[in-house]
Formats: sequence, C-alpha cells, structure tokens
Amino acid sequence: MSERKRIYLQPIPVRIWHWSNAFGIITLILTGAQIRFPESITIFPSYKSAIQVHNVAGLIVAVSFTLWFFYYKMVRNTLDKLYIPTEEDLKHGLARQLAFYCFWYFLGKPSPYHATPDSKFNPMQKSAYLAVMFVLVPLVALTGILLMNVTPLRVLILMSGGIKIIDALHFLLACSLLAFLCTHVYLATLGKTPLAYIKPMVTGWEDEPEHEEESAEEATTPGYRPVRHYPEYSGLPQEKRP
Amino acid sequence: MKSTQNRPIILLLILLALVASAGVCSAARDAGSGYSYGDTAGKNDDCLACHGSRQQVSAAAFIDQTQFAHTTHARIGCPSCHGAVSPRHPDGARTPRADCRECHVDINAEYAKSIHADKTPCAGCHNPHKVETPKEISGQEINQMCSGCHEGFKMTAKHSEWLPQAELHLRMLPCITCHTGSKSYFISMYIVKGKDDSRYGKQEVASYQDLQKIAGNRSIVSLIDANGDNYISLAELRLFNSDPSHKKLRLQGMMTPETASHKFEILDNRRNCTFCHASGPGAMQTSFVALPEANGTFKRVAVEKGAVLGALYGTPDFYMMGSTKSPAFNIIGLAIICCGLIMPVCHGFLRFLTRKNRKGKEHQS
Repeated sequence: MSERKRIYLQPIPVRIWHWSNAFGIITLILTGAQIRFPESITIFPSYKSAIQVHNVAGLIVAVSFTLWFFYYKMVRNTLDKLYIPTEEDLKHGLARQLAFYCFWYFLGKPSPYHATPDSKFNPMQKSAYLAVMFVLVPLVALTGILLMNVTPLRVLILMSGGIKIIDALHFLLACSLLAFLCTHVYLATLGKTPLAYIKPMVTGWEDEPEHEEESAEEATTPGYRPVRHYPEYSGLPQEKRP
Repeated sequence: MKSTQNRPIILLLILLALVASAGVCSAARDAGSGYSYGDTAGKNDDCLACHGSRQQVSAAAFIDQTQFAHTTHARIGCPSCHGAVSPRHPDGARTPRADCRECHVDINAEYAKSIHADKTPCAGCHNPHKVETPKEISGQEINQMCSGCHEGFKMTAKHSEWLPQAELHLRMLPCITCHTGSKSYFISMYIVKGKDDSRYGKQEVASYQDLQKIAGNRSIVSLIDANGDNYISLAELRLFNSDPSHKKLRLQGMMTPETASHKFEILDNRRNCTFCHASGPGAMQTSFVALPEANGTFKRVAVEKGAVLGALYGTPDFYMMGSTKSPAFNIIGLAIICCGLIMPVCHGFLRFLTRKNRKGKEHQS
C-alpha cells in the first residue's frame, strides 16, 4: 500500500475570505433578485429589508475583497504569480486544460494540473479568476457603491452616463458573476470524489494524487500529455498518512 | 275648462324659458372655456395699475400680472376678495381680505381635519395671486411650498430614520405623492439642466427663457414634439434624449398624484417600498412632459401610452428601482446566466454517461 501525502493548500485567512465571500455573494444574488423583480420574488419579508441586507452583504464582500487583495499582494506577495497566467499557460496550458475538461476527463484521466501552495490554479482557473477578481468583482462593487450613494456621488454617476447605465452595468455584471458561480461550483466537484476539491477549502489540506499509477497509465494513452507540477515541497507543511 | 284657458300662457312661459336659457348658454361660451366667471377684461385694471408695477408698490404687495391672469381668482376680480377698500387707499389701512373658506368649502372641511389645520392658514402654502394645480407646476415647485415650514435638512434626517436614500427620495418626489391619498398617479417629466449651464452642476428645472434660447425661432414644444402634433411619441422621447445638441438638458421624471387632497396624511402603505417600486409598467401608464410657458406655468404634453416606464428607460435619469428595469437587459442577463449553466448541464450529463470510466479511480482515492 502506498503512502498518501497531503499538502496544506489553503491557509486560514484564505478560507475565511472564501466562505465569507461565498455567503456574501449568495446573499447578494438572492436579495438582488428581489430588488430587481419585486413583483415575482419575495424571499425577504419586505423590499426594504432586501435592500438593507443587499447593502450590508455588498459592503462585506467589498471589504473582504480588499482584505483578500492586500493579503495576497502585501502579506504573501503571491498575487501576480497565482492569478496572472504565464506565457506557457496561454500557449499550451489553456488548451491542455480545456482538452482535459472536454475529453480526457470522460475517459477517466486525471487533471493535467496539480495544485501546489505557490501555484494553486490551473491555466483556465487563472484566466477565469483574473477576469472575475480583477474586473467583475471590482466593477460590480464600484457600481454598487455608486447606486448606494446616488445623491453624494451624483457627479460621478452623471459622468458615467447616468444612473440607468450604472444600474444596467451592475445588473449585467451580477449576472456574469452568477454564471461564473454556477461553473465554479460545478468544476469544484470534478475531483477524484465530488468533495475532493471542496475539502481543502474547509480543512486547508488537500490529498496528493498517486503519481506512479497515473504515470504508467499516461504512457499508454496516445495524445494525453499532462504537464505536472510536482515541486519539492521542502519547507512546506505536509504530512504522511497510511 | 280653466286649465284649457291657461294652456297658451304656459306654452308662452316655456318658450320664454327656452329663449332665456339659450341666451345664458351663449353668454357662458363667450365667457371663456372652463370658467364660469367670465374673462379678466376690465376687472382688475384699476388695482393692477399700481400693484402690477414693482416701482409703485412694495415687493409684498406686487402681483405678477402674467401669473395672476392665469388664475381663476383673476376672473372673479380683485373686489371679490378685497371688497370695501377704503376710498382713500392707499392710506395705510389694512385692505380687507376674503376668507378662502367662503368659496372653498369642501377643501376647507377636508383641511380642517388635517394635521396642518392649526399650523398655517391657506396662504401659508398658496399664493392666491399665483394658484396652480399639481398638473401645472413641477414637483420641485410643489416641494418649495412645503419647504417654507419643513426645513430640508431636518426632513431628510427625519425620513432617514426609515427611508433608504432619503435625500434622493425627497429630491425626486413631490411630498404629496406620499402625503396625500391619491388613487392614481402619473409620471410628470420635465427638463432640467445643470446650474450655470454646467453639465454636472446641480440639476434645476430649465426655465422658459433657457429653453426658448435653445429652441430659437421654434416653439419650446418642438424640442421634443418634433412633428408638432402636440403628442410625444416614444420615438420622439428617445430622439430628444439621444440628440447631441441637448447635452446639457436632461429629462427627469416624478411620480405625481393625479389628485391632491388637503388631508396631508402620514400614509402607512407608503412605507412599504413596493407601493412604488413594484407597481411596474402596468400601474403607471400615463406620463406627460411638462414644458414651461412664458406666463410661469407649465404646458403638459401627453406622452404615448403603453409601457411608459419601459419606454422611459430612454431617459438616463429617470430610474425607479424595481419598476424601470429594461426588458432587453433582463433578457441579456438571463442569457448570461444560461451561458453559465451550459458547462454544468452539458458536462454533467456526459459525466453521468461516462461515470464507469472513472469508477475504479474514484475508489482508489
């Protein structure tokens, strides 16, 4: 029986951020739906309570986003490395990962990418998170802040083309975030078990895949060329367990 | 026998009555449409000779002749309210004034029961020489009547206790929208421009002079009503908003009660935001564009009926959360969400069909 390693992938601050963000965004979607369609959606007892909860959840997500940014940029200093795709990612990584999701996964092959604490995301994740975290979330937060302060920020709203432009942008960005959320949650179940990728975001630890058997299998599969990242995890917390 | 003798006399009386009533109807038509007191000709000239001139009377005693001429009060004439003026006038003696209650009986009865009754007389809000209905003035002007007593900052603070974005609500709605019980509402749109012609300055109702300057030789109405049919189609409304020469002008809309009572209630159902925000296009089908006229009043031009709020989406500053959502953007938003579901649904389906390929491997982990 081979020994199984596990790595400490998600530190506590990241987990706290992730779940507060998740809770906040789900709340924003539910309240936002009621605010937009009050005739047909009444999840919260009153329109006013939906607005107030929406505003509070929006502020929590905006503050959480700011903390996340400073944590990765200033404390860990790994923001660029984690989230900006490399040349290799763009040239080959994206295509390989796409081929895995669309083809190799159905044949039972493992993901061509393996997460490490310094390189947690595959090329598709990097590209998607880059768009979401650096474009969608900041823009939806900014338009939300404008809509929350229509009178004090009136000039900014007029300069942006009027309140309806801001409202439309906020709504469409929120729809894009919801679309991303559906894909994000589904892809999180694509591990060896449906909870394999979700568990690290709860406990912090991820089980490492068993290299040897997969390598042997890879060799027998024409066209399947996974690029693996198996760095030495010297100095990083890891455990061995039977 | 006696009744037979009287028949010609009765017929004659009926004939005389018919002739007399025809004469009265004709006189009423001549008197001016919609008013039963005739026109203003010659009724006020003696008084306005002095009171219509800023040079001859104090500011408090000055009467703007143009605005006054528009009122029903001008048609009943000055002496109707200011009877028994001293022959030595102006001699410093106070000019007698009629009590509004003498004519406005019903309104007075309603007002007497309101919370305002012992606070201020009619003149506290209304200038009898400049009376206008809500349909004739902008919402901002309606609010100016209230702000004489209700100081804006205090009102914002008071409403902020329960109303989100209180300052915005107070700026964009006439107070009477929430404080009088009207069964129906209309959207009153009017043209605003930035203070001192600044594009981003404080938005003020564009005056007659401002708009006439832009319209040039044409009438102000032609700025929006391009084909001059005294009816604004949705296409004309959109054209006005997209015209680059109107950059400094913007259309703003106010939800205004069709009839304003004098009860000035605190209506609890107005605290339910969905009273306005969920009423949607179905409830508010009627809208007007109010354009200023030379006499200080506003001319209302009807806007094409239909899904008014949807159509008003073309006006960048008329936004009522929940009600002014654009159907087009809703469809785009739905399409975006559906795109997000394509991957989970299609991939999930193939995943289910090919589950045997991964079965052994899942057990290994």
